Amino acid sequence: MTMIDTDTSSVPARILQSPKHWRNRAHASHWRTGDEEFDASKFGMWLFLSTEILLFAGIFCGYAIFRMLYPEAWANGSHYLDWRYGAGNTAVLLFSSWTAANSVRLAQLDKQFWFKVNIAITILCAIIFVFIKLKFEYLIKLPEGKAPGTFFSYPFAHDPHEPLWWSLYYIGTGIHAFHVIVGAILFAVVLWRAHRWQAFGPTQYTLVENSALYWHIVDLIWIFLFPLLYLIH
Amino acid sequence: MSQDTHAATPNLGWDPTDPHGINPHDDAHEGHFVADWKMQIIILAILLFFTALTVGFYNLEQWVETAFEITLPKWINIVGAMSIALVKAVLVAAFFMQLKYDKALNTFVMLFCLFCVSLFLGFSMIDLGSRHLVDAERKAPIQAGGTGYNLDAAPADQNFSVKMGPKINTSGLSIVQYARLNGNDKKHGLLYYREHNDEATFWAHFYDGHAIHRDELDENDFFTQLGFGHHAEESDANISRPRHGLTPGLFSDVEPATGSHADPQGGHAEETQDNGH
Repeated sequence: MTMIDTDTSSVPARILQSPKHWRNRAHASHWRTGDEEFDASKFGMWLFLSTEILLFAGIFCGYAIFRMLYPEAWANGSHYLDWRYGAGNTAVLLFSSWTAANSVRLAQLDKQFWFKVNIAITILCAIIFVFIKLKFEYLIKLPEGKAPGTFFSYPFAHDPHEPLWWSLYYIGTGIHAFHVIVGAILFAVVLWRAHRWQAFGPTQYTLVENSALYWHIVDLIWIFLFPLLYLIH
Repeated sequence: MSQDTHAATPNLGWDPTDPHGINPHDDAHEGHFVADWKMQIIILAILLFFTALTVGFYNLEQWVETAFEITLPKWINIVGAMSIALVKAVLVAAFFMQLKYDKALNTFVMLFCLFCVSLFLGFSMIDLGSRHLVDAERKAPIQAGGTGYNLDAAPADQNFSVKMGPKINTSGLSIVQYARLNGNDKKHGLLYYREHNDEATFWAHFYDGHAIHRDELDENDFFTQLGFGHHAEESDANISRPRHGLTPGLFSDVEPATGSHADPQGGHAEETQDNGH
């Protein structure tokens, strides 16, 4: 058995004796061991993540079909987007994926302070991502009339199918941005429980692991959305 | 920590399901892989490098096309961007999501899911790529460039309309042409410039960089007046780029052109509709 001898002298008794502190939490009674509970939970998360991929597969499929049918509209649409914001957001998400992976490792090693720092950075990156998306893309393009479907009112469009491009752009990036927000909320819950009860440690970090997996899949989707929308023309 | 706290922690104490300690105690997650922080940083650096690479590749390609005035084949753009994205995705899944060190079952779930995605994409592409093989048989319901339904057309099924968004009357125009005329709060449309006798400004902006052919709403032919017309006079025989999209002029014709294009090859007399020949 691993000896867990981290110095906890500075931690107030209120936290150490809380039933939600990771040392005081047990696996649910219907599991034989904590490991079985962890593995089952993680497997369930992977099943859920596969349905997330299938959700975005519909959007990727729509992208491929419309691109094949209306290549001019797709080429024009891609040129309306500035790759710098897309690349910046890619870097933000990759960096936050790294901090998310770090937070799992730090929870496993019971380094509570740096664990919380990494979670906080991940949340901050989520906010930066959504901010860039809104401030430099959505709120610039929408007033110009580069809007989906019948909301479209941009006078200088050339291809009759450009409203379709904007529909796919807003649906794809919008659902992705929604996932970013959900991921940030998950990490906010983790951060709160870590701060209030030190709820996560070497034997209890299922929520951290699964939130990080969710965050990585959000990153993974963006890794494909970025070149499809911004670079391929 | 003292021994009494130990006794109070169910995770570390006596295990009622294994009272004699026959099974190895794994409550401390001994088997769980703890990532190496140096490895994680290297992976992050590689991922950022590949992001820079894909952006650099895109810009290099744009530069080559403008500097040498050539049109690169489209697959260079697509294959370049997507192969780099694939490498990045594999790195994230293998190292950040730890599939490399995890149970094979999780990888299997992921791969099976990707197999399903490839089915969706593959069959869609086979469908679209092989339609020309059956279009001749289905000539009557299919027209080149779509059915030409505009926003004002009645829904195919009167009981069910999927039209969303604002209900605007474009009087037979496509939404793009309607937007061209009317513009929006931030960008004025053609009607505004016509009122101010400044139509040339509008068309100069419109044709800038996209001077392929004269727009239908350009009644006074600013396409030629502004000097964009010389593009059309040059031979485009060496630009072997297929033209897709709607047939020009389709939206100016409110009547759907069903069956008006007679089959030049004949041969399907029994399928050709009675349209006057």
